[in-house]
Amino acid sequence: MADTSRGWSADTRTRLSHYGNFLADINQTLSTSVIEQKLNKKLIEDFNYIKSQATYPLSKFMDYITYSYMIDNILLIITGTIHNRDKGEILKKCNPLGWFDTLPTLSITTDLNSLYETVLIDTPLAKYFHNCLSIDDLDDLNIEIIRNILYKEYLEDFYKFCLAELPNPTDEIMERLLSFEADKRTINICINSLDTDLSSDEKLKMLPSIGLLASNDAIKYQLSELSDLENLKILMSSVGPYKDFFNDSTSAGATSKSLEDSFYEYEMNLNRNAFTQQFTYSTIWAFIKSKEQEIRNITWISECIAQNQKDKINNYISVY
Amino acid sequence: MKIMKPISRALRRPEQVFPTRMTLGVMKGKLKGAQTGHSLLKRKSEALTKRFRDITKRIDDAKRKMGRVMQTAAFSLAEVSYATGGNIGFQVQESISNNARFKVKARQENVSGVYLPQFEADINESINDFRMTGLGRGGQQVQRAREVYSKAVETLVDLASLQTAFVILDDVIKVTNRRVNAIEHVIIPRTENTIAYINSELDELDREEFYRLKKVQEKKQIATAAADAEMAAKKLREEAERLNELEKHETEDVEKLVVKSEEDKEDKGEADQEKTVDTTELVAETEGDVIF
Repeated sequence: MADTSRGWSADTRTRLSHYGNFLADINQTLSTSVIEQKLNKKLIEDFNYIKSQATYPLSKFMDYITYSYMIDNILLIITGTIHNRDKGEILKKCNPLGWFDTLPTLSITTDLNSLYETVLIDTPLAKYFHNCLSIDDLDDLNIEIIRNILYKEYLEDFYKFCLAELPNPTDEIMERLLSFEADKRTINICINSLDTDLSSDEKLKMLPSIGLLASNDAIKYQLSELSDLENLKILMSSVGPYKDFFNDSTSAGATSKSLEDSFYEYEMNLNRNAFTQQFTYSTIWAFIKSKEQEIRNITWISECIAQNQKDKINNYISVY
Repeated sequence: MKIMKPISRALRRPEQVFPTRMTLGVMKGKLKGAQTGHSLLKRKSEALTKRFRDITKRIDDAKRKMGRVMQTAAFSLAEVSYATGGNIGFQVQESISNNARFKVKARQENVSGVYLPQFEADINESINDFRMTGLGRGGQQVQRAREVYSKAVETLVDLASLQTAFVILDDVIKVTNRRVNAIEHVIIPRTENTIAYINSELDELDREEFYRLKKVQEKKQIATAAADAEMAAKKLREEAERLNELEKHETEDVEKLVVKSEEDKEDKGEADQEKTVDTTELVAETEGDVIF
């Protein structure tokens, strides 16, 4: 076992060497998590490099990209605070892309009202929180709901910003990308909440108001009322681009090409197409998302090799 | 099976007992008890060994199964991290409530007098602490990973109960086998040796007793024979005296007769001679009888 893993780690090193010497200083045996960690670090370095050169509106655009990670980080801290976890431990787990200066202070506050008044009010996310936060909401179950509501608010805000502030080809491309992101979330929330006791009102609150699915009120309403997967399939068959997703996945997640894979593939296609337009800010978005997908792919492949599951190794998404 | 060390002869040496018939009875009882105990223990050991083999086989199966299940489980976790694109470990950890979904129940099973603990998995399907995790993306993968891992833990619980049984049975079998061997190779031979020793001692006593009796009888016979001989001799003597007296009377008669007639003298002297020969022969005969 040790031999084979050393074998493939050496191999991985050479194969990925064009990616930069990001694995150069690792002496011990390479593990999947180390690769993933290093790849993420590389991504963040790239992102920060571009960001340091950016002027308005690109700088604002890139800020918007970081907001989604901020949402995750804030919720992570809040969850940790509710459960009285060690602050340093949680901070280590935060995504560096969503880092902001006041993030560590979040864990000091114990009262959620003061949390909002003292910390969140100064962050760009304050306006998203404003819409959903009430003190009673913050227990374990609701953290996920809050996460999704925040994300919905964020997507809508980003969407508005793109249409209002960005020059012509960018806004079109971003509209496509964000609409799909919203639709993806909508479908996922609907599928994943099938077994939960969320009411349709709560679901409606989480579903973004942009995107193809949201533009049709009837579909949106039906989505929130769904009771099983079959109905969702029937519903989706009337929506053009997403028709094919459900043909392949007979039961979600079980077949070789799952719904998630279809989503990723479609998203990557959109991102690839974003590169075809020149002089747009959306390339940055496409670059970041493609990079993330690449990290996932590399992680997946190394995981397959490490776990000796080579027959599934080709299940990654490649569009370029 | 294990190679046993040769048992020292000293262990089988007869016990230090006083060789009496009562001790013999006690020893025979002990031997009988040892034999019954031996056969019982042997049967117990066989039953346990049978069970032990069964468990070994099941452990083998369970371990193989666990290997497979764990692999699927680890892989489903990889799928989760692929689908969610990040580490959801913290979210999952934090959403754990105090109600355990997976509980392990322990009960005891009796196998030929040995109590083996048995663990049973008890899953409360209604508890699902992180059903909201990955609501935005990857939720299905999270749930699937959860199911696969539940199965993995079930397999682990099975394996744990088998392993515990394995260890306990192993111990008990060792103890039982040691007892069986001790009875078979030490206690039974020693008791047998003791019985043999007592028997030999008792035989020796018997022989001594017999010889003594014989000796007594011999002495008695010699005594009777001596008494008989004395009697016979006494009789002879009396006879001889009587004869002498008779002869005396005859000589007086003869002198009277010689005086009377000279012609008959020769005949009478011959007859006299014949008679003395007769009496000496008779004495010799009786003497020979006494000597036997």
